[in-house]
Amino acid sequence: MFRLNLKIALRNLWKNKVYTAINIGGLAIALSAFILVAIYVRFETSFDHNVPNHENIYLLGRTLPDRKTNYTSLSLAQALKEAIPEIENVGRSKKTNFEFAFSTPDGRVYGKDVITIDYTLAKMFHIKPEGGLVKPEGEALNVYLPQEFITAMFPKKTPVFPAKVSIGPLEVKQYADVSGIVNHNVAHSNLVFDALLITADVGKNQEPTAYNYFTYIQVKPGTDMAQLQKKVAAVYKEELKKSAVTAVVNRGSVESKIANEVNLVTNTNKADQSGVFLDPLDNLHLRPIAGNNTNYKVVMALSALTVLVMVIACINFTNLTIAQTNKRAKEVGVKKVLGAYRLSLVFQFLIEILMQCLVALILAIILAEISLPLFNDAFSVSFSLWKDNYELVWQLPIVLLIITLISGIYPALILSGFRPVAVLKGNLQTSYKTLWLRNALLVTQFTVAIVFMAGLLIVSSQLKYMRTEDTGFKAGQVVYIKNIVMFGRPYFENLKARILEMPGVNSFTVASDIPDGSRPGRVDYAMEGKDLGMDIVHVDFDYFETLRLNLKDGRFFSKTYPADAENGIVLNEAAVAAYGVKNPVGKIIRGCDMDYRIVGVVKDAKMQGFETAVEPTVYAIKSDCANDKMKFMVNVDPDHMAGVLAALKSNWKDLNKMDGDDFRYEFMDELYGRLFKKQEQLQAVFYGAAILTIFIATLGLFAFSAFTITSRMKEISIRKVLGASDFNILSLLNSFFIRIVLIANLIGWPIAYIAAQRWLETFAYRIDLPILPFFIAGSISIILTLLTVSFQARNAVKTNPVDALKYE
Amino acid sequence: MIILKNIEKYYANKGVKSYILRHVSTEIKQGEFVSIMGPSGAGKSTLLNILGMLEEPTYGEYEFMGEDVLSLNERKRIELYRNHIGFVFQAYHLIDEMTVAENIEAPLLYKKVSGAERKSRVADVLDRFNMVAKKDLFPNQLSGGQQQLVGIARALVAQPSIILADEPTGNLQSAQALQIMDLFKKLNEEEGITIIQVTHSEVNAAYGSRILHLLDGVIKEDIAVEQSV
Repeated sequence: MFRLNLKIALRNLWKNKVYTAINIGGLAIALSAFILVAIYVRFETSFDHNVPNHENIYLLGRTLPDRKTNYTSLSLAQALKEAIPEIENVGRSKKTNFEFAFSTPDGRVYGKDVITIDYTLAKMFHIKPEGGLVKPEGEALNVYLPQEFITAMFPKKTPVFPAKVSIGPLEVKQYADVSGIVNHNVAHSNLVFDALLITADVGKNQEPTAYNYFTYIQVKPGTDMAQLQKKVAAVYKEELKKSAVTAVVNRGSVESKIANEVNLVTNTNKADQSGVFLDPLDNLHLRPIAGNNTNYKVVMALSALTVLVMVIACINFTNLTIAQTNKRAKEVGVKKVLGAYRLSLVFQFLIEILMQCLVALILAIILAEISLPLFNDAFSVSFSLWKDNYELVWQLPIVLLIITLISGIYPALILSGFRPVAVLKGNLQTSYKTLWLRNALLVTQFTVAIVFMAGLLIVSSQLKYMRTEDTGFKAGQVVYIKNIVMFGRPYFENLKARILEMPGVNSFTVASDIPDGSRPGRVDYAMEGKDLGMDIVHVDFDYFETLRLNLKDGRFFSKTYPADAENGIVLNEAAVAAYGVKNPVGKIIRGCDMDYRIVGVVKDAKMQGFETAVEPTVYAIKSDCANDKMKFMVNVDPDHMAGVLAALKSNWKDLNKMDGDDFRYEFMDELYGRLFKKQEQLQAVFYGAAILTIFIATLGLFAFSAFTITSRMKEISIRKVLGASDFNILSLLNSFFIRIVLIANLIGWPIAYIAAQRWLETFAYRIDLPILPFFIAGSISIILTLLTVSFQARNAVKTNPVDALKYE
Repeated sequence: MIILKNIEKYYANKGVKSYILRHVSTEIKQGEFVSIMGPSGAGKSTLLNILGMLEEPTYGEYEFMGEDVLSLNERKRIELYRNHIGFVFQAYHLIDEMTVAENIEAPLLYKKVSGAERKSRVADVLDRFNMVAKKDLFPNQLSGGQQQLVGIARALVAQPSIILADEPTGNLQSAQALQIMDLFKKLNEEEGITIIQVTHSEVNAAYGSRILHLLDGVIKEDIAVEQSV
């Protein structure tokens, strides 16, 4: 019996090849999207889940009047541990701000994220260097490096630890012992590093009140968090009182450099208004309290979208299956009079659908495997379908069962419910009781597709605008050279002179900040009685020329005015506007305990990208409050670019002796372009979603029109007999669906409009919401409808009316 | 074998009852060959459907082999289909996706007949109907007469005690029709299978032993046929 049913099923599927292919294909595509998103969501939601007790670990943070931050003081950790018994463990980490060279005669690597952590924190995160975690003795700093670093430095064989490596430039002859190899999946952890320094007490010999540390606490299981929060807040207040005198408040968010965090002294009273919070480790990646929760929203939206697409695909499958029920009706009728139970028929159809779903699932896995590289590329991740995703092995069969039930139960019930007497008489009329449901479904599908189409076009327009719009500076010919040497006038002038000698070099400068999206430090400046916070960029001569900034008023810094290097300052338009002064050039502005003379006004430049408005910014050659100027920028003629880079590379050790042994650089335009990465990802998501939803919607339309046309065959035949032309029939069949799609457009446009509007509002510099994308989305949906319905209708038009009317 | 008492069937439409069958009472004994005749719309097919339990009468009593059919549940009724009733349709109603042999085998599957016996019974029937060579063909590869032979073979293979045939020769040419009627007669006489057929044709009716004449839902005549052939 089972074999016979199987045979019938296969023969049937083969006979209706086109439908079967569309059915299985549609489901497969939706399923593959589902699989990819499931992997992505699982990854995003399981950061640090391999840490035992991850649910009991919290990161401390502070609420300041204008923002939230995770930087906490050194002393807080110990005070908490002593005062609150529920806290099982505390640990701190501290970032190192610059790149760190590790080298041996055989190779050299640069640690870009070097962190120093307490031994207790290493234990809390279960960091397991090869050979086990050992408690560092006394003030010892145990250096652990990842496998790649070790391989690069000891290419021949793994050394015996501790192994001696030199730190920084070779000539400095500074050495450290590497204690071992640490393998920590930093791509899937909130504790990110490439070189790890473990010590017994991070705070040894450090300024105790510097807000420079991340403090993690591990609480005992079952702790009442509300109570704990209060206790922590009390301890924090105590600590504040103790250190109020020298309170150092930092500025900037996690992304900005640490150097910003330390030096900037602002009002001590701000500290009094601050509070403290505990942020669970489980939330840190997706929705940290101090930070943005865009990732979380993306994960939620993606999950919701995929589930929606999945359900729609299943319902389409159902529709397409039901559209073909007439063909199976006779089989049901006959089987029933031969003595088949209804249940066995239900079972038969479910098995049939299960088979199709199984094929779809296999196809989906293949599709997912094929599209994974694209996905990885768009999201800068490296997922593999099977590594770390063992859950799929049992999840996929469950998904298979669920989709089989969703897509199969209704057709199985409908089919098995046919009454033999109606079927066998030969005039089966499948009534369509759930018509409104179907219409609603089709409208929903097209609405979603239209929203994504319009969204894609709008996101693309904004990206195009960001790529082509004037930013106020020109990064095209600028090379950013990394450097770890503190600024010193004679040393720098010597270097500058030698670099300017190279043919093709237009200018060379140094600054504390480069236009890569990071925020400079902020210091209060007073002018004409107004005391305002200003971003301060610590620059040198030729800074404006190198970045080709535009002068608004006055002049830029110039060697011909030696005073510029002492008290000259340039404001940008935003700063001038903030103070509300007219003719600022020549006026005096006071900040950082000294008076500056304004020499010029520079036009605003979008150095932090398009999302934030240009901040009021001042540029000074001398400032004790600003960050150190260490970042070199060189402006080179494009024709000479390769030559200059080669020359710099070969002579770097000689040119900039104290920096180290390697010339490290990045192209400024690429660095700036990375600010668009998020938008490019969004564009990729929209691209995928638009294609997917259009495909699914078209599929739904295909199924629906197939059904409608089959059930209207008799009507069509009668109309033809009465003299309707082919065109009449086509327009009759099309008009209904065009109406549906128009309704979808009417619903989709406002949704897309509001969503796009809100998205565009996250940009300080944005396009005016264009109208064209809506029309394009509308036109595409209508054209697709016409094509799909006409494809289905052509059979109906061609059929001889006699065939349809014969059995009546 | 079959006892009908006062069978009524009507559809109520806006309070107006339109009768299909009225006061139909009759008895059909084991081994009879009954032809139901009458003009279009007389209620022949409805009567046959009621006999075949495909439709329920609005009123009346129906006893099949001593059981009150109208009080049977679905499961019991299906048991009756499996063991006692064979259907033959005007449009043959073979399952298109099954071969001839598979079509014939189908009822045995529902009767839970063992594989070996199924094989032998199907082979037997194929042999008897001279269709061994065609057993692997699909219905659409056969002529109408051949398809109807398969339909009858399918009805017979489960060894029913009664065959219900709704215009079995309606779609056939006359030579083929005669062949089918001969087969029915033979089955009735040699194997004692009760046959009830709906037909328009006097010729076909003459093969049976009894004719029920229906007019507007009422049995007008119930006559025994003189065996002339």
